Amino acid sequence: MKTFTRLALMLAATTALTTGAMAEGRTFKVWWYEPADSALGIAWDAALAKFKEAHPDVEVQFELKTFDQINQAGSLILNSSDAPDLMEYNKGNGTAGLVASQGLLAPLDEAYAQYGWDATLNEAALQLGRYDENGVFGSGPLYGIPNYGEFVSVFYNTDMLAAAGLSVPTTLAEFEAVMDAFVAQGVVPIAEAANDYPAQHLMYLLALSQATPEWVADFQGLKAELDPAPFLYAGQKLQEWVEKGYLSKDATGMKADDMAAQFTSGASPFVVTGTWYGANFGGIEGFTASQFLFPGNHLSAGSTGNIWVVPNGADNKDLAYEFISLTLSQDVQNLMGNSGGVPIAADPAQITDRIGSLETELFNQLVAQGGLGFYPDWPVPGFYNEVLQATQAVIGGTATPEEFAQRLKDAYDDGMSM
Amino acid sequence: MAAISQSRRTGSAVYWLYLMPGLIGFVLVVGLPFAMNVAISFTKWRGIGMPSFVGLANYDRLLGDAAFWSSMQHTLFFVVAMAVIPTILSLILAATLFDYVATQFGQGWSSFFRAGYYLPQILPVSAAGVLWSWILNPHGVLNLVLRGLGLEGSNWLGDPSYAIYAVMGVMVWIQIGYSLVVFMSGLGRVDPSLYEAARLDGAGAPQRFWYITIPMLRPEIAVIALTTTIAALKVFAPVFVLTNGGPDNSTIVPSYFSYTHFFATVRVGYGAAISTAQTAITILLGLMFLRLQTRKGDAR
Repeated sequence: MKTFTRLALMLAATTALTTGAMAEGRTFKVWWYEPADSALGIAWDAALAKFKEAHPDVEVQFELKTFDQINQAGSLILNSSDAPDLMEYNKGNGTAGLVASQGLLAPLDEAYAQYGWDATLNEAALQLGRYDENGVFGSGPLYGIPNYGEFVSVFYNTDMLAAAGLSVPTTLAEFEAVMDAFVAQGVVPIAEAANDYPAQHLMYLLALSQATPEWVADFQGLKAELDPAPFLYAGQKLQEWVEKGYLSKDATGMKADDMAAQFTSGASPFVVTGTWYGANFGGIEGFTASQFLFPGNHLSAGSTGNIWVVPNGADNKDLAYEFISLTLSQDVQNLMGNSGGVPIAADPAQITDRIGSLETELFNQLVAQGGLGFYPDWPVPGFYNEVLQATQAVIGGTATPEEFAQRLKDAYDDGMSM
Repeated sequence: MAAISQSRRTGSAVYWLYLMPGLIGFVLVVGLPFAMNVAISFTKWRGIGMPSFVGLANYDRLLGDAAFWSSMQHTLFFVVAMAVIPTILSLILAATLFDYVATQFGQGWSSFFRAGYYLPQILPVSAAGVLWSWILNPHGVLNLVLRGLGLEGSNWLGDPSYAIYAVMGVMVWIQIGYSLVVFMSGLGRVDPSLYEAARLDGAGAPQRFWYITIPMLRPEIAVIALTTTIAALKVFAPVFVLTNGGPDNSTIVPSYFSYTHFFATVRVGYGAAISTAQTAITILLGLMFLRLQTRKGDAR
């Protein structure tokens, strides 16, 4: 009996000691999944260095995760005691919306005003940070803070256009005429990959050319059963473009990297893809790459980027809020732009990197015209794979445009009723 | 009498003691998760929060899901690509290496080829898969070679009518080494004088293969057939790396199908139903196989 009491006393003493020690030296755990050499990785690293400077007494535990890790196990991590104080999380209904609706994230409305984030961000930028009780974005408490932007546009080879005496198209008809000129030279105008995510972005841009902002709001917000008309048009246009030789049927066997290689090697003058390729294309040595928004479109695939979320069980929420403030500061945002990224709150005058400043300008233009149409795979969980396969099939010609649109509608309506 | 039954009882108690570690491991790693999976398959659940009981709804959906049935069909293709073809090919290769290469060119060459065939087994599937997707892409090495020979290339992984055969080809490449090494070691215990005697009696290579190699390797063939068939029933990684089940679901397999529902569509209950059905089929086929094998053994 005596031994037991002594053991219990010892245990109690140790626990008291450790808790005491933890209260003195605090630990700040932060996770993100942007590679260290990407614009975001560079900018956030700088923010972390500033944070350490301001808090020499806090032990900083940073872990670099991968997109897949968080995308697939994020909800399990947030539901456990291992969750960090702050983490980058994938925006959208199926990811951030899901965990927000389960009460795993801390609401940030108070901090938003208290830390002055409202001075740098506006309500439009917060759309993907708000989730309602069903996990649908756009309304409800604020759970996530965006930090950067991204959008899909057309990157082009300025040298090839100049050599052919062609100028940048401003309408879809002009774009098709430019592509006809390249087809006549035996060149496949658009580098594409349909065995991967890029083809669905081109498909979505074509759909958006026929869509109203209301259609986008309904589609993305799961407000009504899917009206597939824009997708039918996109499917028809894709098959027409394959027939006319604007893009090759071979795309169905290509991955995103194969597509990028086709553009950077100068084989194709255009590639329709996202700003995440900006830094890469800005560094091409053989020719000068530039970009324009998809011709004639009011809406483009694009959004504010992934968000910072604070797990509900985080021990040091105040430190997490401070770090968010740092990533929104002018210095860090300008650094992001100058590293080839798309900052959400930078001073455009301070961005000297060619691609970075072009991207920032185009992004601001899109935001100003209310042209962020988000991405086709967001509305329901698992839609990504369905859109990928259906787009691949319609480009390969194994599905008709009607079948293509119907497949998307079936998967969407099915996911909606979940 | 009493003493005997007493000792018997202690005897069986001791057996149980020895079985304990394995049993505990089995219950924790296999039994419990399996029971949980079966339980989850009767619910609607998004991975977090409370699952809600839906009875047989998931199984009902499964029966009407075309993707599930085509994934089961593709399993048969994978049995051919991972069990049937590699077993036949590696039998022939093993006999050639053992009976011809080793005797004509020396043991060193035979070992060299054996190691070469085994190499794909050592390579991580993810790395091998990336390499193959380069080789098979429309601008890849395979098409370059074919065009060089004046033939027409194909869009191997992008065309639904070719993709399953392309993936099957990669599987044959991966699997041959495994069966080959087992067969070669099996041949190691065959008395070489059997071959010599047969040769003296005028038996050619085909006869020696048919009347010596195959009968002598019967136990190995049974083991290989069983293990590779089971591997084929649960294949996942090569499909994940090469095609993601596409194009147009033309290479989807049950494991990948269940994975997409677990992690992509977050229909965890449905994903559990798929893997329960898959497990049931695997166990059934395994039992049939073992039954067949013991019957054959009895006949001999």
